[in-house]
Amino acid sequence: MKIKSLLIANRGEIAVRIHETAKRMNIKTIGIKTAKEPNALYLRLVDDVVDFSDSQDEIPEFLDIERIIEAAHQSKADAIHPGYGFLAENPYFARRCEEEKILFVGPSALAIFKMGNKTIAKQIAQRYNVPLLQGSQRTIKDSKEAEDIAEKIGYPVILKAAAGGGGRGMRIVEKASNMEKMFRMAANESEKAFNDSSLFIEKYVRNPRHIEFQIMGDRHGNYIHLGERECSIQRKHQKLIEESPSVALDEKLRIEMGEAAVRIAKAVYYHSVGTVEFLLDADKNFFFMEMNTRIQVEHPVTEAVSGIDLVEWQLRIAEGQQLTLKQEDIKLAGWAIECRINAEDVQAGFSPNLGIIEKVSFPKGKNIRVDTGITDYSVITPYFDSMVAKVIIHAENREKAISAANSALKKIWIRGIKTTVPFCLAVLNNKKFKDGDFNTSFIEKEMEKLYYNEEEDEMLAAYVAAFDFAAELETDRSAKPDFERGKNISPWVLNKRLKSL
Amino acid sequence: MKLLKPKKKNDPEYIAVSPAGKKYVIRNPFSEELRINGHKQDVKIFEDKEGFTFIEFKNKKYLAEITDKSQNKYTVLLNGLSYSFTIESPISYKRRKYLEKHKQTNKLEIISAPMPGKIAELLVEENTQVKEGEAILILEAMKMQNEIITQVSGKIQKIHVKAGDSVSKDEVLMEIER
Repeated sequence: MKIKSLLIANRGEIAVRIHETAKRMNIKTIGIKTAKEPNALYLRLVDDVVDFSDSQDEIPEFLDIERIIEAAHQSKADAIHPGYGFLAENPYFARRCEEEKILFVGPSALAIFKMGNKTIAKQIAQRYNVPLLQGSQRTIKDSKEAEDIAEKIGYPVILKAAAGGGGRGMRIVEKASNMEKMFRMAANESEKAFNDSSLFIEKYVRNPRHIEFQIMGDRHGNYIHLGERECSIQRKHQKLIEESPSVALDEKLRIEMGEAAVRIAKAVYYHSVGTVEFLLDADKNFFFMEMNTRIQVEHPVTEAVSGIDLVEWQLRIAEGQQLTLKQEDIKLAGWAIECRINAEDVQAGFSPNLGIIEKVSFPKGKNIRVDTGITDYSVITPYFDSMVAKVIIHAENREKAISAANSALKKIWIRGIKTTVPFCLAVLNNKKFKDGDFNTSFIEKEMEKLYYNEEEDEMLAAYVAAFDFAAELETDRSAKPDFERGKNISPWVLNKRLKSL
Repeated sequence: MKLLKPKKKNDPEYIAVSPAGKKYVIRNPFSEELRINGHKQDVKIFEDKEGFTFIEFKNKKYLAEITDKSQNKYTVLLNGLSYSFTIESPISYKRRKYLEKHKQTNKLEIISAPMPGKIAELLVEENTQVKEGEAILILEAMKMQNEIITQVSGKIQKIHVKAGDSVSKDEVLMEIER
């Protein structure tokens, strides 16, 4: 069945990203408008908008299954793309789409369910000879049980949300006395994020690399992988910089891990694009972590090195088309790096930096791709996650990619909010990162300073402050009421004002 | 860009002091020459057609924005990082130095919300002792549970919030007596 119109049940950069490919494929796109972000960029791009602004429900708009289904019928959409997060890995949602004869752009509800439940996923991995970490084979009921298992497999252990992903509902427990508190926090967070507080426990590998494989499968039994992504640069289990390929893999290990990933996909008759995540320890042993049954934030690095549009294949496979790409057709060329630009204050412990983007400008260039959901006057609200853009660089090799990423990030100009750009620059300029010598503890262990600046930066800032202060002194404050006291006035404006006095 | 020359004959001098106590002596900021701590270098402040304010220095461009100011206290965002200063004249700087020497240290530590969010859980009660580095409450923001940690040891004097409360940035959460 050819998809004629597509409801995008998501927001931000991924809604924009999905729209772009759909448009190229002559598919009409429909976006969802919420009262939280009525002027968002994606709403200006899509062909049609369904309005959820009146939503009074406790359920957030992008999680409201029945309303989204109804909106699809109303707007005559024949397919729904869930993007990532929200309902992307909700088997009940995929099932409801199937029942309502709406194409769900993703795998089957059953595949989502099996992979979404980490205990089932682990059983499958075990059956198909994919290496696993020791731990509970099912969810644990309380912190006492967690302590018992931890006693057996040895500390440190990690508590994980059974329904989880994206680092939420995860806690590392170093010793028995911390178990109760950590169990409570992980369960709380998991309940909030996934509506399911069940946890499981496993052995925690210190300082592993996070390596994941992009896979694709269709409804006709064809499966391939598109190589790996290196996602070890993480803070509190949130990925911040990703690459493809990884310096840690040679061709032999790539084939071995890629085949293991494909085995998992086959086991659940996976028909869409998906990601199998592994931990890689210092001795290059790999362990199955989980499978993400959706398009991922970091998919563009794979697109860059493979030259394949993953969203296009997601849509084609959903239509029932054959995966015509064969494993031997997949040639990965060059090196790609993605930097996530989040609205966070790196100088204040990465706290969310809310506000209005007064002005924004991104670098342009042949090997620079910017996926973003923001533009001038976009509002960063507390309702959604803090990522505002992704900058993806593709170059011949890793060294060139790092240097190109460095100059591209220095050409991002944003006024109104603070972002993680200075953090990304600090990583890109770190010697160990440049040498490829890093793992998931990199940020904690190797970075003395979490942002990049040069010696003269503070001096120049001091100059700007002194300039403005002097300009204010020059204006005769007693003669005019000062309506703008304490507000942001650029030194330029002040200077112009001074001249016209 | 032609910048306004000051009316006074002698070059005015300003002292920007960072929170770490670093001192920048800036002579005549209106000249197109940066004269800081005795160094001399060409500098230009300009606005581009997109509306960004830049400083051009040693052939490099820096995006600058004053994000906060009240009286002589400034926060400047330069290339995405915040720098705070108080601007003093040579005379007020002397006075400040004098006052610093004779200042008493504050006994009450105010813990305020570093970000907007919801209080997920209080980990301490009033009148209990806490140690530096101890988690005192959990603040939920952007779907993450963040532990708020005290930087001082002391007794919890007062708690202004309860679990479930929504708080805005900088809202006072607790007071700790050192």
